[in-house]
Amino acid sequence: MKTVSMFIPCTVDLFLPDIGEATYQLLKRLGVNPVYHEEQTCCGQPAINAGYIKQAKEVAKHFIEVFGEDGAIVSPSGSCVCTVKFHYPELLCDEPAWLARAEDLAGRTYELSQYIVDVLGVSDLGAFYTGKIAYHESCHILRGLGVSEQPKKLITNVKGADFVAMKFSEICCGFGGEFANNYPDISEAMVKEKCENYIQSGADLLLLCEPGCLLNIGGYLSRNHPDKKVMHLAQFLNDAIPFRGKEN
Amino acid sequence: MEIRTEQFVEIAKKELKNARNKQFLSVLPLAITISRPRSMQSFPDPEAANEYGRAVRAEAVAGMPELLEEFEKNALANGAKIVWAKTAEEANAFVLNLAKERGIQYVTKGKSMITEEMGLNDVLQESGIEPFESDLGEFIAQQLHKPPFHIVGPALNIPVEEISDLFIAKADMKEPTTDPVKLGYAARLYLRDKFHHLAMGITGVNMAVAETGSIINVENEGNIRMNKSSPKIQVSIMSLEKVVPTMADAMHMIRLLCRNCTGQKLSAYISIDSGPKKSDEVDGPEELYIIILDNGRSEIYQDIQAREALRCIRCGACLAACPVYCKIGGYPYGWAYSGPMGQVLNPLLLGLEKTQDLYHACTLCGACKSICPAGIDHPKMFLYYRVQEANSDKKAAGGFITNKTAKFFDLWRWGTTRAWRWKMAVKTARPFVNRYAKDGTINKTIKPVEGWFRTRNLPAMARKTFHERWAEINKKVTSDQ
Repeated sequence: MKTVSMFIPCTVDLFLPDIGEATYQLLKRLGVNPVYHEEQTCCGQPAINAGYIKQAKEVAKHFIEVFGEDGAIVSPSGSCVCTVKFHYPELLCDEPAWLARAEDLAGRTYELSQYIVDVLGVSDLGAFYTGKIAYHESCHILRGLGVSEQPKKLITNVKGADFVAMKFSEICCGFGGEFANNYPDISEAMVKEKCENYIQSGADLLLLCEPGCLLNIGGYLSRNHPDKKVMHLAQFLNDAIPFRGKEN
Repeated sequence: MEIRTEQFVEIAKKELKNARNKQFLSVLPLAITISRPRSMQSFPDPEAANEYGRAVRAEAVAGMPELLEEFEKNALANGAKIVWAKTAEEANAFVLNLAKERGIQYVTKGKSMITEEMGLNDVLQESGIEPFESDLGEFIAQQLHKPPFHIVGPALNIPVEEISDLFIAKADMKEPTTDPVKLGYAARLYLRDKFHHLAMGITGVNMAVAETGSIINVENEGNIRMNKSSPKIQVSIMSLEKVVPTMADAMHMIRLLCRNCTGQKLSAYISIDSGPKKSDEVDGPEELYIIILDNGRSEIYQDIQAREALRCIRCGACLAACPVYCKIGGYPYGWAYSGPMGQVLNPLLLGLEKTQDLYHACTLCGACKSICPAGIDHPKMFLYYRVQEANSDKKAAGGFITNKTAKFFDLWRWGTTRAWRWKMAVKTARPFVNRYAKDGTINKTIKPVEGWFRTRNLPAMARKTFHERWAEINKKVTSDQ
């Protein structure tokens, strides 16, 4: 059985652990053996984005030590995968031994929907859902990893689901980590428009693959449109696959 | 031009409430999602065309010193006069002295970002030489004393009624009108008169071709051509990075510039000057001055990362692509260059201390980078500035940000490099974070992240984190497996 190492982002660990659990269940259902290194914490993205690279470097090294030997690392977050794939090699460019390890790791790190569709070759999970679904193209998944078709394939193959187009689905929701807190007026205008476009799409469910966007869009909807739902794709799929027993 | 980059937040707040801007800005993303792709499709291979353009810019920037020397040599051979200016003040002083020497009362100008950067209009005006902007949008912005709202359309946001009033007051228009053709005609009549008696025309430069010593201007109104062909003296001002190696390179960059700028395959007017009027020619200026302005760029060039900023060709595509610009418009950026272009350039040209908000007010969404025909990685530039800012934190005396952030990240590093410390920190923080939680949701403001809670809730910190759940999910699975 193929073993895959789960890289659960800190946002999921602390605020959205259901997504972590759904990731685990999905991978198991796909016939792979998901493992979780308990020594993992955070990938270091907040420090990199704030310019504190000395601190980020140490966190990157910790991450590389924890995940260094794994054949495949899979995460339900595109931006954290981008951190590992693109920022680690930049951070460690002046330490050749670490750089080699970082570059090696970069090639083995995947976003969840990308791993399911591109590596496992599965695009139909046998899921059922009745309703209209829209998809938000998170920045780091779309432009960072070039992943867009993969999650859409998984959604369109859900039986009974009606995949609807959402205006400006590829435009940022206004999260941006520290940005959402430091520039609340601009961030609000952005997330407000995202949610208006979601509502206008006629969908009754918005799916995405990025915990940061989920906190932002979900937080805005919870405050302003509590009847509108937004979910992480992993959790949605896991819920929408009929239970076949024997699952832990 | 007044520098207001430090008022970013304040001006942005005001602009967010401007309903007219909102209406205009809400359709701006269509320039990137519809018109730009449509015009790029007219290349046989759009991606190859982009790659070629990026390569031209990379080569031009890398070889800038040698290319500038080659350009100077060939431009001199064409009969142009080359003036090297180290600073904006030097360039302004040259133009002013030349104008005074020749007894010039007024000048006309083609729209140019470099003269905005220099603040040339203010300098001329203070000495009694009236500068008339001849680009319609720039003319309006100038009369209203407003900075450019957008690099290509400086007055795109001004209501037509306001323009009508303005033209009656300042451009000899007789009747109020909202007809754009009539408004254009009024401005044309007014400015045509200035061109008739013109002694000195001032323009920017879109590209300077090293192999031929030619300068190129790209425009849609024909006013730049008037600035170059009407007067006896033409002054064209370029910054160092305008130089490209060959005419073929320039032609390709023009094809990219027009498509990215306005979604056109080619703009209505493109003029190429190789020297002033020759003895056997009937029109053109008798004297052509080309001012090559440094204004900090040779220093930028020394820094291999910062140098990437010099690739910019000022097409403005990044503005329409930017979700932040499309909410706040051009004014909050506080200077000549706005949007991602300004966020990359202004910190280098004005210093990091004055422009903190410019390199922080970004979600790092990468939309600008993904369409930049010059190959600039904007988010990487912002992170680079943030690193320098964080480093300046250490210098207690010279630093310009508080030590609080540094301390936070030191603590965070400590907590993040060992899982037991991470878990301990979680246990300590949870009751504090969740003190207002109700039904799994926090909807009351928690300091110091009040910005988040202004319009958003947050899920309560999980009663059991994934770490804690994992122990239950599968006790047998260990990190050694």
